[in-house]
Amino acid sequence: MIEILLIYAIIPLIKIAVIVLFLSGAIAYLTLLERKLIAHIQVRLGPMRVGWHGLLQPIADGLKFLLKEDIVPAKADALIFTIAPAISLLPAFLVFAVVPFGPPDMLKDFLSWILGWFPFLNLDPETIARIAENSIASGGYVTDINIAVLFVLSVSSVGILGIILGGWASNSKFPLLGALRSSAQMVSYEVALGFAIIGVLLVAGSLSLVEIVQNQQQEQIWYVFVQPVAFVLFFICGLAETNRLPFDLPEAETELVGGFHTEYSGFRFSLFFLAEYANMIAVSAIGVILFLGGWLRPFPNSDWLSFLDFIPGVLWFLGKVFMFLYIFIWLRGTLPRFRFDQLMQYGWKIFLPVALGNVVVTAAVLLAFL
Amino acid sequence: MMDFLRRIFFVDILKGLALTFRYTYRKVYTEQYPLEKPKLAGRYRGAPRLNNDPVTGETLCIACDLCAEICPEDLIVVGSQRDPESRKKVLTHYTFDTSRCLFCGLCQEVCPTNAIELTQDFELAAYDRRSMVWDRKQLEKGWDRIHFGKDYHK
Amino acid sequence: MKTTVEESTVLDAKVLELNMGPQHPSTHGVLRVKLKLDGERVLDAECIIGYLHRGVEKISENRSYIKCVPYYDRTDYIAAVSNVYGYLLGVEAMMQIEVPKRAQYIRIMMTEFSRISSHLLWLATHAIDIGAMTVFLYCFREREEILKLFEALFGARLTTHAFRVGGLWKDLPAGFEEAARKFIDEFPERVDEYEQLLTKNRIWMARTQGIGVISGKEAIEWGLTGPVLRGSGMKHDVRKDRPYGGYEEFDFDVPVGENGDTYDRYLVRLEEMHQSRRIIQQVLDRLPDGPVRGKAPKIVKPPVGEYYSGIDGPRGELGYYIVSDGSAQPFRVRIRPPTFISLQVLRRLVRGHLMADVIAIIGTLDIVLGEVDR
Ligand code: SF4
Ligand code: SF4
Repeated sequence: MIEILLIYAIIPLIKIAVIVLFLSGAIAYLTLLERKLIAHIQVRLGPMRVGWHGLLQPIADGLKFLLKEDIVPAKADALIFTIAPAISLLPAFLVFAVVPFGPPDMLKDFLSWILGWFPFLNLDPETIARIAENSIASGGYVTDINIAVLFVLSVSSVGILGIILGGWASNSKFPLLGALRSSAQMVSYEVALGFAIIGVLLVAGSLSLVEIVQNQQQEQIWYVFVQPVAFVLFFICGLAETNRLPFDLPEAETELVGGFHTEYSGFRFSLFFLAEYANMIAVSAIGVILFLGGWLRPFPNSDWLSFLDFIPGVLWFLGKVFMFLYIFIWLRGTLPRFRFDQLMQYGWKIFLPVALGNVVVTAAVLLAFL
Repeated sequence: MMDFLRRIFFVDILKGLALTFRYTYRKVYTEQYPLEKPKLAGRYRGAPRLNNDPVTGETLCIACDLCAEICPEDLIVVGSQRDPESRKKVLTHYTFDTSRCLFCGLCQEVCPTNAIELTQDFELAAYDRRSMVWDRKQLEKGWDRIHFGKDYHK
Repeated sequence: MKTTVEESTVLDAKVLELNMGPQHPSTHGVLRVKLKLDGERVLDAECIIGYLHRGVEKISENRSYIKCVPYYDRTDYIAAVSNVYGYLLGVEAMMQIEVPKRAQYIRIMMTEFSRISSHLLWLATHAIDIGAMTVFLYCFREREEILKLFEALFGARLTTHAFRVGGLWKDLPAGFEEAARKFIDEFPERVDEYEQLLTKNRIWMARTQGIGVISGKEAIEWGLTGPVLRGSGMKHDVRKDRPYGGYEEFDFDVPVGENGDTYDRYLVRLEEMHQSRRIIQQVLDRLPDGPVRGKAPKIVKPPVGEYYSGIDGPRGELGYYIVSDGSAQPFRVRIRPPTFISLQVLRRLVRGHLMADVIAIIGTLDIVLGEVDR
């Protein structure tokens, strides 16, 4: 009884709590990283006052957001206006339910060690071993479902709803334009993104994120080398999906003031903000899993790099995600912004055909040689 | 063809990225303002000061009213009285409205004795408008800056 | 915000009327543009100006000729040096005051510095409007160096009150020439950096090429001057056509564009910075010795008459039309602000473009609201 409870309820719950907390912290410090990095690109220092080199700045910002007056514009649709940020934030976090941070046996040693410390559970060593063996409990993820990729795609597209509703409910023109832009943008780039992913799925032959990584391990190579075109497409569409420069049209502040969140302030604004950064991390995480071998080191399973094995898988994973994020920010510090119609043109006339072509070529090659 | 390849491999964008990357780990250009005071040029025209003779400690102003005449904004008021004995004009009061000043420097150019001078002090913020009108005492002493919660000026 | 709904010709959609400004991040001050939008497409635009009107022309009428000068710093505050220069050339011509050679040269040098700094600011804001944030700060870095030079010579950074009737306030301070030389030696490298970030960048090209096209003939009909006219292939530069203040002694080219679009105007301005640099280089090499202030009477009282002095400011022909009634105060000073005139083509240029282009076009016209409203 207690064993089942532990495996299916308590340990996953603890994992969820840890991931949510970790994610919130990561987002907070991602904003700091962004500000610092962009500042240094632009030969300035960025936040310096709160804490050593501004290290406490995210906390101060968070507090500021919480303490600010919560303004709902008089003409706004109050109910939708208030729930829209939550609609946008939830899916961004939900994605992490299926993201594997580490291999299925990541917590095995840890679990068998820590469960011994709870005498009131009355666990005998055998049960502990069984719990630790069970990948639901010891895996480096909350859950591993066999349609994870579909889950990610569908959940993340719900987030747009929050943006549209928020822009619509503000009952103001700039947010409305921003919302319209973002809906059009996300819908069209989701298609290309989906096709870019299909290339990988064809190679991997699975929809489960864990299995995709394990397949990369077996084949001893990251899929980025197998599917470079898909990777570039995924990266670009990922930028567009997360509204990052050069595709940050929905919130292009020099055109639309604040875009869909022009009328938002304080806590609600911060929710949109969190959602945006959570999406950024999510896209990076998915990209790392699909193309860069998740928790694997370079050229997994091949011997000549085995000295790298001492670094745990989670660190590999986080390091790669960090690299993704770094490039996101770096791009923001370098590029101008597209215009709306150009963005759509690129999406439909270039990326989508290329992605389709990539799928066809991949399928043909797979059919012919395997 | 070359152009096409350049486009496919994002050469233009990579070049830009290379430039920004080079700058990321260079020395920053900005100065940390309240912590680090800028060194202003000697000619800088900032807060006004009414100079005293360094030896006698008496004011250099001979109340000739030229500065008030030239000022485009008419913001200087020179008050004087004729000394019955020496028949000389003596300065009685002098006000300077910093809130309206253009800092054009015409007053200091025209002053025959270099009494009115625009100094390199530039932090002229005040809590209300009235305290932006400086009287003679303030002008002779120089501006005491507003101090904030944490004293950056030490 | 008031919503006016009108019928549109396209489909059954409603026309959205959008107020861009006066408080908007990229209207460069307090310009208000009333846009009529069909989706994102601009059907019509109307500029509403006057939010920064301070009546500088009227103020001049009851100040003496000398006292007016600091106010002209504040019309086009981004190129304050050129503004004062244009006015003083007019006053000096009316009074027939001889300006010493050294002062003339220094004036030209500083005006060209002010052109560079103004173009830098234009590039900075234009780039950030289109989303390239980093160029903004790089440009400000170089501009800062110029402002430091201004501070050393004039005693102020923005509202410089640069020149006086008959010459300069004071001669160059010690170390100025070295600093100026250092700046112009490094400057081409910096411009290359902006070019590396923008010129060949596909996004920048997509955003600027073919946007806001105006033909040379039409540009002349609208009365455009400066880089906006030159971008359309018209070689018009007051410095060449009616040389003033000693410009005829220097060697420089007038760059022109071909297509008259935003991209060409961008290239023209970049090249102008290089040309300004060339002029500064020549001034520094040939700077004569001597006084910097000619014989000017204490009280400036030009004879009765009218005079027009036009110079080539960074934004186009900057004119001062001065009417004197023989007293110590001008009877009338009329300023011909270049951007007031180029702002009127905004409506013509944005029609049919998308909303994002409005911002690019406002940027490329390089307006300064202080000058438009005066
Ligand atoms: S600096 Fe100019 S405006 Fe200010 S007091 Fe002197 S003359 Fe008047
Ligand atoms: S010009 Fe100089 S001496 Fe004359 S009143 Fe003004 S401050 Fe005094």
